[in-house]
Amino acid sequence: MSAETPLLEVRNLKKHYPITKGILKREIGRVRAVDGIDVSVRRGETVGIVGESGCGKSTAATTILQLEKATDGQVLFDGEDVTTFSKRELKRFRRRAQMIFQDPDSSFDPRMSIGESVAEPLYVNGMNDRARRREIVGTLLEKVGLQASDADRYPHEFSGGQKQRIGLARALSVNPDLLVADEPVSALDVSIQAEILSIMQDLQDEFGLGILIISHNLGVIREICDRVGVMYLGQIVEEGPTDEIFTNPQHPYTRALISSIPVPDPHRSRDEVTLSGDVPSPANPPVGCRFHTRCPEIIQPDGYSFEQATWRHLMDYIYRVHDQNIDVESIFEGVVTEQEGYDDIEEVPLEAFETRLREEFEIPPSLADGTAEQTLTDSIELVFAHDLEEASAVLSAEFETVCRQEKPAEIHIEENHRASCHLIEQDTTAVVESPATDD
Amino acid sequence: MATDTSPDRIEIGQIDWEEYETGRFNFDRKTVGSTLSLLAVGLLWLYDFLFVAERHPVLEQDLILFELSLTPNNVDWLFGLTLVALFWYVVVPLYQNKRMTMYYWSKFKQNTAAIWSLGFLAIIFVMGTVGPLIIGHPEPNWGNPNAPPVFFGGEWAHPFGTHRTGEDILEVTITGAQVSLQVGLIATLFSIILASVVGATAAFSGGWIDEVLMRFVDLLMTFPTFFLIVLLVYIYGGSLFLLIVILAFTGWGGTARLVRSEALQRSEESYIQAAEAAGAGKAYIIRRHILPNVSNTIITAATLIIPVMILTEAVLAFLGFGDPNIWSWGRIISDGRNHLATAWWVATIPGIFLFFTVLSFNFLGDALRDALDPRHET
Repeated sequence: MSAETPLLEVRNLKKHYPITKGILKREIGRVRAVDGIDVSVRRGETVGIVGESGCGKSTAATTILQLEKATDGQVLFDGEDVTTFSKRELKRFRRRAQMIFQDPDSSFDPRMSIGESVAEPLYVNGMNDRARRREIVGTLLEKVGLQASDADRYPHEFSGGQKQRIGLARALSVNPDLLVADEPVSALDVSIQAEILSIMQDLQDEFGLGILIISHNLGVIREICDRVGVMYLGQIVEEGPTDEIFTNPQHPYTRALISSIPVPDPHRSRDEVTLSGDVPSPANPPVGCRFHTRCPEIIQPDGYSFEQATWRHLMDYIYRVHDQNIDVESIFEGVVTEQEGYDDIEEVPLEAFETRLREEFEIPPSLADGTAEQTLTDSIELVFAHDLEEASAVLSAEFETVCRQEKPAEIHIEENHRASCHLIEQDTTAVVESPATDD
Repeated sequence: MATDTSPDRIEIGQIDWEEYETGRFNFDRKTVGSTLSLLAVGLLWLYDFLFVAERHPVLEQDLILFELSLTPNNVDWLFGLTLVALFWYVVVPLYQNKRMTMYYWSKFKQNTAAIWSLGFLAIIFVMGTVGPLIIGHPEPNWGNPNAPPVFFGGEWAHPFGTHRTGEDILEVTITGAQVSLQVGLIATLFSIILASVVGATAAFSGGWIDEVLMRFVDLLMTFPTFFLIVLLVYIYGGSLFLLIVILAFTGWGGTARLVRSEALQRSEESYIQAAEAAGAGKAYIIRRHILPNVSNTIITAATLIIPVMILTEAVLAFLGFGDPNIWSWGRIISDGRNHLATAWWVATIPGIFLFFTVLSFNFLGDALRDALDPRHET
């Protein structure tokens, strides 16, 4: 199976949106929505891409289908690079690669009957024979569990689940080889989700489709996918067979995602991993490992052995200082409102400020390590004096983690399970190493 | 879930798509029909313009009860063109998409006032299109001035009474209905065509084209149309044709803005992306998806522009800037208002017609907006 060329092979795909300013559209920055991903889908295989909202999953889908022009990278379909296709070749490609959309309500033209919508790919691809189109539409509607006579009805006459099935029928009308499903069930009730997924699987068996499914729902992914790629901020951080990913997740982000799946057993306690902070902006992604600003397992500097939670909280504080993003005034205000005796922020002494700051970042009143404590106190004093730049310098001289300094290489844990994380690099279990893709 | 396909069904896997890839010319009957009939009107106009001398009817036919005589002027030709366009782009689609029509009709008929308005406008429409063909132009009759309407001491020969120069007020009213319909429909049709073209172009081109077109619309909307009309009437004299042209070319700014914003919004919907993903080109998407979906907005806007156009014409005729050869409602109201004490029917009856026509269009527009406005749709 693995010897044949995959149906779809995405190599180092990038999609950047320029941020422009003024009438001359001068580029002042770039939103790196998709920043170098590699995915492959074989015939009959279902591959999932999972990640939080805003990580670039949907952009990846539309870029793979050339609905948006890729900034860089290759999309090989049957071994041919789609990004270099002419208009005519592109049309042929689009017939063979179809898409299902997230929102079943807006994915049908309210002014077209269901039959017209399902037949649209046929018509667009040149089938003028009305009777034949109608026959195909009838067959397809029956395949997805509706009736051929439903073709004359309009979208508003159907429920969300029915519309999503019709969406499947539309996608299958031109007999594609690849189906890209962007959050196909996230807008549906849980009971209907399973139904849609099982129809997708049946149709896959019948037509031998390759399916690329994009979702934020790990439950959906686990149910239907053979392989999974975990995406964070435009990059795939871990990729492997679904069972492997769920039983032996390597990347801390994957672990956090998996721990967020609800367990239907109130008595079972589990170690829930919560991620601190927001997803950083893809316009200005963090240096080093992109996940290190939120990673609960962020590596400590040599010679330190904090409790991991303390270290994470400390890093949260350090990043705020580095980014000049710490709201000093609100800490002052906090002291004034919480404690008696101060009427104005001018009166707040350093001690009260420090206590408040530590509380806010959940840093313990005193760190066990003397040097670290000294550095922290120095930096807080500088923050107190509104000298964030100096504070940043003091902090980065003492606390520096490999996660921030270097981009993690992609490591193959097993033959088809790879992840990019410094933690794995530190282990010696790495079998094969491949160079990290850098830009 | 997948049901077994019976043997006579088409196997989707076996379609040879290569055979469909060759270029194709594919016109549906509607496109052919509308183009041919519009062309026919154009040719007839050319024939009339080139070969039929003025003041000679194109068609003269003695029917048993009355005489059918056609002496169309430019406004009549434009009106014919408008009616043909209305037939192909309003009546035919309504008939073709019966299911959709019934759906909108069920929403529309919840509004009783709108149903009454529709009925009244249907009467006005028949009156304004067929009526003048039968009665011709109101002629002065010096022997029977200021006859009161029937039930007020008048006779059935002149049910609405007569003017002080003897014109039958019913005939004047019918002619006025024609003028109002001509102004309302022609000016509105041309202004919504302009608005759609400009709005859609601005939305799809974006960049500086969008910028230039929309700034032009801003200018247009601040333009004092009234002074332009006064000026042109001063130079060329009052003319219905001129008035319609001015109204059509100055009244489309607001609609263009509406169309643009609506088209921008529609182009973000995922059915557009679905069509793109299926391989559809830009022209196809505009024709099949954007225009039909923006048409709700256009139809609603048009219904609310019509009464504005009619009222504008009436106001201008009332003020004496109208066509002196044509009996419009505004002109007869203006004529009759000085004799309200002696002949109240002269101004009042056409006034009532004008009032109810404008009111009906407004009711109709409101009901259509409720029924068609995409934002209320699920």
